[in-house]
Amino acid sequence: MIRRRLVAVVAAAAVVAMTAAACGTSDASSTGSGGGSGPLTGAGSTFIAPLMSKWQSDYASRTGVTVTYGAIGSGGGIEQITHRTVDFGASDAPLTPDQLKAAKGVIQLPWSLGAVVPAYNLKGVPDHIKLTGPVLAAIYLGTIKTWNDPAITKLNPGIRLPATKITPVYRTDGSGDTYAFTDYLSKVSPAWKSKVGVGTQVRFPAGVGADGSSGVAGAVTSTNGAIGYLTIAYVTSSHLHYALLRNAAGRYPEATVEAINAAAATARSVPPGGVSITDPPASAPKAWPDATFTYVILPKKTPKAAALKRFVNYALGPGQSFANDLGYGTLPPRVVADDKRALQQVHG
Amino acid sequence: MAERAVLGVHRGRQGGAGPGAHPSIGGRRRSLADRIGERGLYLLSLAAASLSVVIAGGLVAKVLAEAWPALSAFGLDFLTTSAWDPVHGRFGAAAFLFGTAVSSFGALLIATPLSILIALFLSELSPRRSRGPIAALIELLAGIPSVILGLWGILVLGPVMRDTIEPALHDTLGSIPVLGNLFGPDYSIVGMLPAIVILTIMTVPIVSSLMREIFATVPAATKEGALALGATRWEMIRTVVLPHARPGMVGAVILGLGRAVGEAIAVTQVIGGTEGIRANLFLPSDTLASRIAGQYQGATSDLQIASIAYLGAILLALALLSNGVARLWVRDAAGAAA
Repeated sequence: MIRRRLVAVVAAAAVVAMTAAACGTSDASSTGSGGGSGPLTGAGSTFIAPLMSKWQSDYASRTGVTVTYGAIGSGGGIEQITHRTVDFGASDAPLTPDQLKAAKGVIQLPWSLGAVVPAYNLKGVPDHIKLTGPVLAAIYLGTIKTWNDPAITKLNPGIRLPATKITPVYRTDGSGDTYAFTDYLSKVSPAWKSKVGVGTQVRFPAGVGADGSSGVAGAVTSTNGAIGYLTIAYVTSSHLHYALLRNAAGRYPEATVEAINAAAATARSVPPGGVSITDPPASAPKAWPDATFTYVILPKKTPKAAALKRFVNYALGPGQSFANDLGYGTLPPRVVADDKRALQQVHG
Repeated sequence: MAERAVLGVHRGRQGGAGPGAHPSIGGRRRSLADRIGERGLYLLSLAAASLSVVIAGGLVAKVLAEAWPALSAFGLDFLTTSAWDPVHGRFGAAAFLFGTAVSSFGALLIATPLSILIALFLSELSPRRSRGPIAALIELLAGIPSVILGLWGILVLGPVMRDTIEPALHDTLGSIPVLGNLFGPDYSIVGMLPAIVILTIMTVPIVSSLMREIFATVPAATKEGALALGATRWEMIRTVVLPHARPGMVGAVILGLGRAVGEAIAVTQVIGGTEGIRANLFLPSDTLASRIAGQYQGATSDLQIASIAYLGAILLALALLSNGVARLWVRDAAGAAA
């Protein structure tokens, strides 16, 4: 497992190097072709990367168009699209007003979705212990300090929880995972909302920080008593345990594709500022409480408008067929329709 | 004489080559080609030198311009406030200044004696044939990408730190009054101590190979003279090698300090990214460089970007300051040696 992580990091480094190289060429090519079938470059979210690599090969075989993508993190993607060094950016959190202003004329469309789950490492304790949002918030606020705290044991009758100290692990870099996690905690815990708030970077009052998903997974794997938030795909591939969260209907669903879809179905429409599907209402009893959309960021005016629109239409349509196998949810038709309408703003 | 000692390494080598290496051209009339060459060389080197000044100046200007919103919002309070809350727009560098100082100082505290011993071993004590391979191995350490070193820090070093080394340190040193507060009683896989260890691993190859070069400049005749007068190996090192090499050694340590203060990625991975100022070395902390690396790309507000640039400006100021101090120090030491 350690070796696989190392390979992943090395691969990520290589991708960054390649994007950097690709960025150099994208400027040159964007002035040349009038938005025909030239290659597209994108950068950002690591969360979308596994799905993106499916899209890249499938799209290339369908249309012959190469899409280069650098999984450098949502923050990096926002930075690069702001400076137009890539054709599109990808971020797991919608842009903040300041970021939107700095990026001058971009739109953000949800184009996939997934679940953030609290992974834990607790010797002798089985998978899927139960937690509630307020208890999770109290753990990250540092007010619940040990695993055998009555607040936790009460939710888990029949499971012997040790007196091990809880070590909350959080992301120190800007992250869509942090956004989804803090968005959820802010909705279920007034204390969290007033003391910490929502964001891709927040001030965590307790716990230890780690850099990137690999850092969080590494810290959780090597610390007995640790809990850390990660996307479900990462948790599954790292063979970590994760806690089930009580949703508004009082149920504890697993973070399956169905549970993500059930949460997504509660999205009524997609406003330009992004849409939150954390803590869905009790009318969705099967919904995972901490599901989140991930966004593609497109410049409204770009010489590659036609090629970009074709690719995003592909991602919203045929591209969705790969999502479920990789642990992503399916975009609800309502969101797809809103996306396609918004996509018309992109022009040459 | 003082200047000769400052530039120890190069002058020493050149001295070995002897004055015969430069054929005297002063007496003869120069040809046209020579004069053009002379002029060309002068202009080229002038351009290169001015370019570095322009780049450094541009860098300072850009960083200050980026940092301006934070400079005007927080002023110098930024340096004494320990807060980093992007959601509520509160920023301050005190905790990162503390973290930078402690981690770099801690790393050099271990790396300096270690490097001196390694360099002495390689230049004076070890069998001649084993020097090359050992030196190559140590320099290989410098080639490890910092992201790999950081990952090793989390996955391998961290658990050993928390389960074995930190409890052992607490049991042996924790009871010392005042100083004991540095060691425990809380243990963690990420924190100041792992960062110090990682920084030590990163600085030792640089500092030790510089010191080896410096020791190699001590004239063999002087060393042999000391030995001929009946000095032991240790006495020879103490009375001849170390005094001769001192200014260069200080320079080497300052370069190591620069490496430690500026290292970002590996520190980001192992230090645990929190804003508290705490005596316990086992707990998470953060440094200026690590905070910049961790948050610049994902910064969510203009004020946060400006605050990160402010951190960069502090880092620049620290670099200038340590460089200046190093120069003065080297000059003094060289003066004393002469």
